[in-house]
Amino acid sequence: MNIYVLSLGFGLITASILAIASVGFTLQFGVTNILNLAYGDVMTGCAFVAYLVTRAGGSLPEALIAGAGTGALASYGLNRFVYTPFVRRGTRMFGMIIVTISVSLALQNGLQAIFKATFFSLALPRPSSYTFAGMIFTSQQLVIMGLAVAAMLLVHSLLSWTKLGRAMRATAADPELARSCGIATDRVIDLAWLLSGALCGTAGVALALNVTSFTSTAGGQFLIPIIAAAVLGGVGQPYGAMIGAVVIGLSAELSAAVISPSYKEVVAFLILIVVLLIRPQGIFAEVATQKEVVA
Amino acid sequence: MSQQKLIKMRRATSLALACGLAAGAATMTGGAEASAAPSTIVIGNFNPFSGADASFGPEMVAGCQPAARLINAAGGVFQHKFSCVEFDTRGDPADAVPAANKMIATNSSLGGILGPSADEALATVPILNQAKVPMFVDTGQAFFDKSSYKYMWRLTPGDDVKGYALALWAKKMGYTHAAAIFGNDAGSQSDVPTLVRAWKKLGGKMVDNVKLALDQSSYRTEIEQMLASKPQVIFTEIDPQTAGTFLSELQQLHGLIPVLGTEITLQSPWLKAVTGAIGKKDMTKYVTGLQPYAPTSGASWTTYNGALLASASQVPQPAQWSADPYSMTYYDGVTIMALAMLAAKSTDRATYNKLMTAVTEPGAGKTVVHSFAEGKAALAKGKKIQFVGAGGPIAFNKWHNSSGAFEAAQQVNGNVKIVGEVTAKQIAALSK
Repeated sequence: MNIYVLSLGFGLITASILAIASVGFTLQFGVTNILNLAYGDVMTGCAFVAYLVTRAGGSLPEALIAGAGTGALASYGLNRFVYTPFVRRGTRMFGMIIVTISVSLALQNGLQAIFKATFFSLALPRPSSYTFAGMIFTSQQLVIMGLAVAAMLLVHSLLSWTKLGRAMRATAADPELARSCGIATDRVIDLAWLLSGALCGTAGVALALNVTSFTSTAGGQFLIPIIAAAVLGGVGQPYGAMIGAVVIGLSAELSAAVISPSYKEVVAFLILIVVLLIRPQGIFAEVATQKEVVA
Repeated sequence: MSQQKLIKMRRATSLALACGLAAGAATMTGGAEASAAPSTIVIGNFNPFSGADASFGPEMVAGCQPAARLINAAGGVFQHKFSCVEFDTRGDPADAVPAANKMIATNSSLGGILGPSADEALATVPILNQAKVPMFVDTGQAFFDKSSYKYMWRLTPGDDVKGYALALWAKKMGYTHAAAIFGNDAGSQSDVPTLVRAWKKLGGKMVDNVKLALDQSSYRTEIEQMLASKPQVIFTEIDPQTAGTFLSELQQLHGLIPVLGTEITLQSPWLKAVTGAIGKKDMTKYVTGLQPYAPTSGASWTTYNGALLASASQVPQPAQWSADPYSMTYYDGVTIMALAMLAAKSTDRATYNKLMTAVTEPGAGKTVVHSFAEGKAALAKGKKIQFVGAGGPIAFNKWHNSSGAFEAAQQVNGNVKIVGEVTAKQIAALSK
């Protein structure tokens, strides 16, 4: 089998997980302007919930639903009870980054304290392998890719064709103006956190499936590629995050095949740097730097 | 209360505080002398307890705690009790250097340490050596084969020796084409040069040599490239999470091939991560680990194992470390330090460090002892001793290194089963 075709397939799997995660990350950032660096650790928490569900005899769909639900609730709760009080006290963007780092460390160490510093695998039956057009996928990877496509279509439909989507875009563009136009921005922000959290939880379960053995730091380690994909696409731009995820995922796998596995991450991040040199705002144009954090 | 009384009270309080601080500082000068008031002697467990190599720390604690238990049960060293304290290096020199400085500066009764590991040894051994802290390092880096650090001691084989053992076992199994799949961390990579050299010397062909970036979400491209070179066996040392991902993807894509790993492949975290990923059956069928030879019988091991099993409150699931050669060497390290303190009649680090070999090397008329209690009793009678550790006899060379044979082992139904041995003589012949 051709190694480049195989790598293309492998890159699509990585890109799928990255896409689910980075779209969730950037969607929430686009609406609230809070750079939530605890995102990876919420992913890990959801992976642990999926682990408990599968240990109790739950199936993959049940684990995914539990993961997505946990992610949604955890993200909503984080915003309501941790981030919003800071925003309302006038904490600026840099201060909020420190708050999210603190939450990240608390979550990571909390998970380690509960589950101990050891390794976990989802208790699911071994998947079957399938070959398509020279690429190899397992049944679980096909599910992950299907989920990524479904999530992207859902986000696209939501943003393009629903009132909520338009309200989210309006809140993202100018929260004050949106509020004065009668949009219930508080509700929109809550829903953005719920949706972002559901995608975060789904990505956490997908990551646990893909790496097979995970620890309390697994999601945190995945945060850099997530941010890279989001930045590459244009921070706050869900479509950009999708493109960014595909570029990062494919370039990492293809560079491993063409050059050397040692340069896998080097090439992916070099592409990121080059793109940002040419288009500092990312592939999709809008930049959120002028806005303030909202809750 | 009059102003004068108030001033007197303040003076008295200040004096008491100053005395307290002075008393605290008195124990900071490198350990108390034999006549000093009993206090606790801290044995630093200086290793990764978090990060990619978080599995190292618990293995160290599993050696330190039983040793401290036995030392304390025998009345301690000049009535000073031993206490094992964890210092997390996070497996990263950037974290380990400040951790080492802090440990030295803030632990008034630091008697000695176990560690550092390969992740942080090059950065921290010079600091610890300058501070005159005796240390039983667990790095295999060849740099320490012939180093002049007076306070560094090593009971584990160098990585170059591990490379010889892997190559010899693969040759014995009849393999001719191998792939080296090692993590890109310093510790794992230090195994590779001697492995490649030894494998070539034995007539084998290294068809692929990959430095794996650790903890990635996928290694499928690396696996396809490796399989294209058609290896019969994989030599490896990679962290548990990476190994779980790599081997499960290999299994999914084309099925497993035999894997020969260093001792990490026989350690509990690795076994848990990889067994969860590929299943018990394939773990037994395909994975063999080479670890320093460690007897699970004899008086010294029995004493170690008894104390280990009794330390369940400090060592979770202690039985998992019963046959662990590294835990045994940590146990031996602490016991050697304690006996050297007795032999030197001092807990001063610089003083007792000179007596490490005196309590371990064989010699005419020496009393062979298998535990701290036996050693303490013999020394009290004015005898010279040779401590034989849980890991066997100890013979430090002039560079403070002591290593021996290797055993090949597999995981069978949750237990490590020894399947063969690579002798010290074979290794010596290959390393010439």
